[in-house]
Amino acid sequence: MDEPLHSTTDFSAPTMAEGIAHVVAVEGTVAWLVPEQTTSCGGCASASACGAKGIGTTASRLEARRFQLVNDIGLRVGERVVVGIRENALLKASITAYAIPLATLLIAGALAQWAAGSDIVTMTAMFAGLALGLWLARLGAGRLMVRGDLAPRFLRRAGAGDTCNS
Amino acid sequence: MKEYILLMISAALVNNVILARFLGLCSFMGVTTRIDTAVGMGMATTFVITVSSMADWAVEAALLQPYGLGYLRTVTFILIIAAAVQFTEMIVRKVSPPLFQMLGIYLPLITTNCAVLGVALLLVEGKMNFIGATLFAFASSIGYSLVMIIFAGLRERLALADTPRLFAGPPIGFIIASLLALAFMGFSGLSTS
Repeated sequence: MDEPLHSTTDFSAPTMAEGIAHVVAVEGTVAWLVPEQTTSCGGCASASACGAKGIGTTASRLEARRFQLVNDIGLRVGERVVVGIRENALLKASITAYAIPLATLLIAGALAQWAAGSDIVTMTAMFAGLALGLWLARLGAGRLMVRGDLAPRFLRRAGAGDTCNS
Repeated sequence: MKEYILLMISAALVNNVILARFLGLCSFMGVTTRIDTAVGMGMATTFVITVSSMADWAVEAALLQPYGLGYLRTVTFILIIAAAVQFTEMIVRKVSPPLFQMLGIYLPLITTNCAVLGVALLLVEGKMNFIGATLFAFASSIGYSLVMIIFAGLRERLALADTPRLFAGPPIGFIIASLLALAFMGFSGLSTS
């Protein structure tokens, strides 16, 4: 059994969330990568019965998640690399994509219910709020992209034993 | 107003989707190895449950109930949930391709998440009005996200702890989940007065 952890062990999460990607194309100074085939859950004991595997691992889904990196380190097609995003990037992205539209949807619905008290009016107001929220999310995502918060960064070349769950 | 607040507290804490109704256990065990993935999955599920429940309520009120088509409820709701997931995926991709690259992987997992269908069926059972149904669905999914994030935090610590080999991995995870469920049972003693 391993040695017990010292009481000063740092339990904080790593500063970068890491993942593994394959280089699929190199165009001048830009390398195109796709994330290594995996589900977000990394598979589990019930993987054979889980629908997530079949849906989440098709080539089309991976192709849709293709991204680019500036190739200033001489990456070649077929190489595996470890890429990372800032640990709070996923939180910022989730808030931008989901929380803003949900907030506007609920506020619009609450206001309509208070003002009119009719299900049809509330429903219409909620869909209008959703549309407004999606527009605001688009603005927010553009701002995050300009700041480079959503862009994955090259960390290192992946070794043979590196997996997305290691 | 008080009625809606109580409805939301009840849906999120007292009758928590995961710990009281035991729905969505696949994602509960599968996506909680890291806090950031739990947050991503929780937010995506919150969005899909809320939007699909609005559509489910509308279809139930406009089609299934008036025409006596209750026997088609489960099939119809599954179809609506799948459509809501596709809609969300399409919207996120259109709104921001980088966001889609980052969050898109969670969306297909939601299609097979029984918590989404479970909440929709509970709405029908509850015979709520539109705003009540939407708030119930939103609060249920907030409860789902809350438990996912708490459990992910516990598992991150657990990964560094000195667990006996027999209990390492899912076994100790299930024991922690049961303790968490016991803790959440305390919310059933909340007084409304």
